[in-house]
Amino acid sequence: MNCQQFQEVLPYIIENGGNEEEEAHLRGCRACSELVRDLKYIAEQAKLLLPMHDPSPRVWGNIEQSLQREGLLKEGRSSRLGHITNYSTSQTQTKTSTPIGWVLATAAALVFSALLILYRPQLPSTQPSAQNSSVPSAQIQAGDNDDQQVIAAVAQDAPEVRHAYESGLREVNAYIADAQSVLQSDPQDPGAREQLLEAYQQKEMLYQMAAARSLP
Amino acid sequence: MTVLTYNIAATLPHLIDQRPYKGKLTQAKKITATGISEAEAIERAKGGDAESFEALYGLHKRRVYSLCLRMTGNTAEAEDLTQEAFLQLYRKIATFRGESAFSTWLHRLAVNVVLMHLRKKGLPEVSLDEALEPQHEDGPKKDIGARDNVLAGSIDRVNLERAIESLPPGYRIIFVLHDVEGYEHNEIAEMMGCSIGNSKSQLHKARMKLRDLLKLSRAEKAAR
Repeated sequence: MNCQQFQEVLPYIIENGGNEEEEAHLRGCRACSELVRDLKYIAEQAKLLLPMHDPSPRVWGNIEQSLQREGLLKEGRSSRLGHITNYSTSQTQTKTSTPIGWVLATAAALVFSALLILYRPQLPSTQPSAQNSSVPSAQIQAGDNDDQQVIAAVAQDAPEVRHAYESGLREVNAYIADAQSVLQSDPQDPGAREQLLEAYQQKEMLYQMAAARSLP
Repeated sequence: MTVLTYNIAATLPHLIDQRPYKGKLTQAKKITATGISEAEAIERAKGGDAESFEALYGLHKRRVYSLCLRMTGNTAEAEDLTQEAFLQLYRKIATFRGESAFSTWLHRLAVNVVLMHLRKKGLPEVSLDEALEPQHEDGPKKDIGARDNVLAGSIDRVNLERAIESLPPGYRIIFVLHDVEGYEHNEIAEMMGCSIGNSKSQLHKARMKLRDLLKLSRAEKAAR
């Protein structure tokens, strides 16, 4: 079997495994084995992609208007968007009255503030590059400690969701690290900036949820 | 951030409910921002309860929007399609009987909305037809003896997202449905109105194309 023949049946080999002849070719051919490894790697990485994007608030506004126009909403009931936001805010205020809540809420605020300070648009000449590259790693370190605190607090309060928080933070940290790495090579990359902001927003939300869990 | 949610399943449903058809978290266990269960919100929404409509939107908007965005690669289209998917959801919610998980039902509905939209634009069919024809640029590599540097360990999510975005629409849709969203080939074939073999072939070409795009991106980065 040559490479051409092997690659013609490659989709089926990746899905179902190959027969003896195909496996033998794979073992003996560096190019084909690298190709198979790459394709499997791409598929694995794709599975790790998260729904990272939120629609803009106007989407819900439009939906609500259409629902009202079509008479799908009960009469006398209007938007609860403000209500829910207020409800959440008041919950946040209540939760911060507990010590763990304070710690977590402060950590969330610090991480998010640090992000805003570090990644707001900067003039290229105003910051020496060495300074730029040193700050994110310091922040990652601080983030690790905060994460440990968050996980410890969650584990104490609700051990059954500890794993979900751990993997959530791990995944969101991986996004942050990826975006930071792209930004280090190209600080003006708009896609990476956007993804970094979204990742930090997710992280902030995880912290807030953890803080809410610490409510008595 | 407009709506804060206080349940990990609500805000990050993908952590527990990673694949729509493999959802391990029942709707009764998902809690909306207002504190009611998803099952309760569905029942109330069937009666036209505005708050429950919004609670369901809050629970699922990120998944639906991300799906639309990845399938279309266009923010404005993705927002329109998210809007359309939720409107259809609310119009049809009375017919939801709970035979499948609500997220599965909604997800499938959203996929259908996107596919319908793309069909109107005439994009996926072109690529699906093309998949039946041998394509020089996407066929087996002629320089197959050349040594490649493996990608393993070098892909970051930013570049992968970007590469997916730049895939031709037909490839992108199959790749997103199969590799990102976790649909099986038979489900994709049914949704797309193509054969299973066609779906497999498209997926393979999409991965090959992605490999090229990722290598190109890596080479460009190295050249800077």
